[in-house]
Amino acid sequence: MTFDQILGHEHQKEILRRGLVNGRIAHAYLFSGPDGIGKRLMAMALARAIVCLEQRGCGHCQACRKIDHQNHPDLHILEPDGSSIKIEQVRAFQRDLNLKPLEASRKICMIEQAETMTAGAANALLKTLEEPRGDTLLILLTAQPNRLLETIRSRCQPLPFTRHPNSRIQAELEKQLGIDATESHVLAALSEGSFKKAFGKDRELYLEQRRDLLKTLTGLSSGSILPILDFAEQLAADKTILIDILEIFQAFFRDVLMTLEGRGDEELVNLDLKHKVHRVAAHENVASILDKLDALMTVRRQLDRNVNRQLAMEVLLLKLAA
Amino acid sequence: MAYLVLARKWRPQNFTDLIGQEHVSQTLANAIRSGRVHHAFLFTGARGVGKTSAARILAKALNCEAGLSDQPCGTCASCMEITASHGLDVIEIDGASNTGVDDVRELRENIRYLPNRSRFKIFIIDEVHMLSTNAFNALLKTLEEPPEHAKFIFATTEPHKIPITILSRCQRFDFRKIPTSRVAGRLREIADAEKLTISDRSLSLIARQGEGSMRDALSTLDQVIAFSGDEVEDDAVQTLLGMVDRRLLLDTVEAVLQRDSRRALDAVRRIDQLGLALKQFTQDLLEMFRGMVICKVVEDPAEMLDLVGDELKGLKTLAEEASLEDLQRVVTLLLKTQSELVNSNYPLLTLEMSLVRLANLSPSQNLARLISHIESLEKRLGETAPPPRKMPSAQPRPAQETPPPKKPEAPVAVKTANKGWQGLVEQVRQSRPMLGSVLEHGRPLKLELPTLEIGYPNGSFMISQLQEQQITQDLEALATAYFGQPVKLLVSGIDSSQQSAPPSLVETRQAKETDRMRRLREDAVGHPALKSVQEIFNGTIKKVIPIDKGFV
Ligand SMILES: [Zn+2]
Ligand SMILES: [Zn+2]
Repeated sequence: MTFDQILGHEHQKEILRRGLVNGRIAHAYLFSGPDGIGKRLMAMALARAIVCLEQRGCGHCQACRKIDHQNHPDLHILEPDGSSIKIEQVRAFQRDLNLKPLEASRKICMIEQAETMTAGAANALLKTLEEPRGDTLLILLTAQPNRLLETIRSRCQPLPFTRHPNSRIQAELEKQLGIDATESHVLAALSEGSFKKAFGKDRELYLEQRRDLLKTLTGLSSGSILPILDFAEQLAADKTILIDILEIFQAFFRDVLMTLEGRGDEELVNLDLKHKVHRVAAHENVASILDKLDALMTVRRQLDRNVNRQLAMEVLLLKLAA
Repeated sequence: MAYLVLARKWRPQNFTDLIGQEHVSQTLANAIRSGRVHHAFLFTGARGVGKTSAARILAKALNCEAGLSDQPCGTCASCMEITASHGLDVIEIDGASNTGVDDVRELRENIRYLPNRSRFKIFIIDEVHMLSTNAFNALLKTLEEPPEHAKFIFATTEPHKIPITILSRCQRFDFRKIPTSRVAGRLREIADAEKLTISDRSLSLIARQGEGSMRDALSTLDQVIAFSGDEVEDDAVQTLLGMVDRRLLLDTVEAVLQRDSRRALDAVRRIDQLGLALKQFTQDLLEMFRGMVICKVVEDPAEMLDLVGDELKGLKTLAEEASLEDLQRVVTLLLKTQSELVNSNYPLLTLEMSLVRLANLSPSQNLARLISHIESLEKRLGETAPPPRKMPSAQPRPAQETPPPKKPEAPVAVKTANKGWQGLVEQVRQSRPMLGSVLEHGRPLKLELPTLEIGYPNGSFMISQLQEQQITQDLEALATAYFGQPVKLLVSGIDSSQQSAPPSLVETRQAKETDRMRRLREDAVGHPALKSVQEIFNGTIKKVIPIDKGFV
């Protein structure tokens, strides 16, 4: 992967390119931004640009290929061992950093999901970040920079990545999956600017089942408890899918809110269900929709804390049906 | 190709270089001049404010070959070694990597030996809070009876993690965050020395980005140089820092103050299209409103805000148009949004909701008026229904004025002759209360005379009761009398999952009750006065209690 092959992130590419040209590549970068938008690809491209025998990250030379296959002796990749990056892992690569690079001009270390470093691991890394040998490059990757120690963040050159615009994701979905414009619009709108998310979506769920789910949801009435209990039971059955379904509900009520605020249909996620959106909007007001969206946000947080799913869904649906 | 980052290249080498920490340097310099130097120091403070640098300067001052001095020469062998961070008698220990008791034991061994050639053996332990409890205990023994020739300097960002027994044996210095103007001044010196062309405005933006940390500011300056080379344009700095265009921010502020949610949402759209970080936008927006609050309450806000000239004037003008209460509510809400954004699964929606909310905040009223409003409301509560619920908004929009939602009809119980199923149940209850209560739990599956079919959950106690012949006969007789024609009773078992069955009377009543409580709560929560009370006191509604059952 060269810089040119990475979609978007022109600004970030330019920063790194100029750093390379000006001989001012920092000794530690912190690539931050949502999952699945290309941080790792960019880190690999940077690694290639540094080791490349033709000094441009050509992609063909032996060094570039070794990076691609992750068997370059001067490239280290640190990943969580289980749920966290442990101090032993940090110590091991620190020992290695004390040696001279074998083939490249620098030793490169990528730390993936850097926020999972234990307090011990993070603190142990501080000295390396503070005064590394001249021939090392550390690239920390994280989707949650706020969970890193301030002292770590402060010692890295920050390079924040932002979400891709929906139009870019939509175009790519159409090109690669051959789906139609409405479907790609829905998937792109629900992807939060992440290619990984857009392509990883359960298309059956997001395209087909979404319509049925929203039909059931909007058919609920607070005066009739049983259908609510049944639907709650159905939703609570599978936690992994439930999170996706809640996202679908969020997107739907967001569409209603946007409609009430007089936004155009082109801003809707559920472009194919705009009549339903308008119908629901006619019976709601801004305050009532905000309440429902709040309820959805709340239940999302509750699910992370392993509450009784059935109960949480019942309470949620009662609020949504109100 | 590697280069020395500015923070290392320009590390302070003298007490006078320690910007913003004059209270520390002066005390230390005095102690050195008077020759009364404590044997253990604790340097605390945020990241990048000069703790490690101060520790090295102190070490140089103690060991300089030109004599104990608050101005170490910087050129003798000892000074130069320390600057290069490999002094023979200055041992730098990374607390994070040497956390165990063995490490401390080794250190204690080491302490016993006299310094190689300097006055003191100096131990600098960075990130000292990372030591284990056992390691601290071992260290404590050394601190209780330190040899004459040993000095300790501990540095930490987290002093609260250090045992009190250690704290009490150290002379403690708290390092402060460095004011933006001081950071900017230092950046100017460095930029000039590095032969950079860069404006004061850009340097001040960079300094502000550092949030009181010199190292962060220098790291940003590194980034700017990497991006622009030696000629730095203002635009490039703004782009590089991912800063939101000020005009866009001002536009959003105005939209919020004028309760124009459409314009506020337009701003979010543009932020999103430009690929700017929503978190940064929220942060910037919060800064602006905070600035306006400060403009309202402080005589001379310039220093507190680190703002000058046009920017300050613009902020002051905006602040004049808004009430302090309004601004404070906006700040409170934005603070909440900021923390929600961190963990939101749908950040765009979180921000959109926040802006819609901000643009719908009802204009604040002063407290006295509010209280009299509540009092009159309390009086009225007993008499009549509260005023209809209305969305507080300066600009009512048609969509919000539509009548309350008409819910789709619930599956309706079969309706027949005169008073139907409900009437029958009431009738039965009068003569046979137990039987009546059993009927209340039944679902009227079919009421097409002469057939009456009642459903109960499979395997329930009630179904077995009703299937007794005597009871069936009694019930048939009662129903025949009630409807005035022969009735054939059928009792069927139903699945709990069968949703098509009409609800029993008990279920209907429960649903109604829930619905009534919900509406009651909604009315209460939606009441403008209560909303204001919540916003002003930042309260939550714990419970809504009906005062009078016939009230809704
Ligand atoms: Zn190559
Ligand atoms: Zn000296």
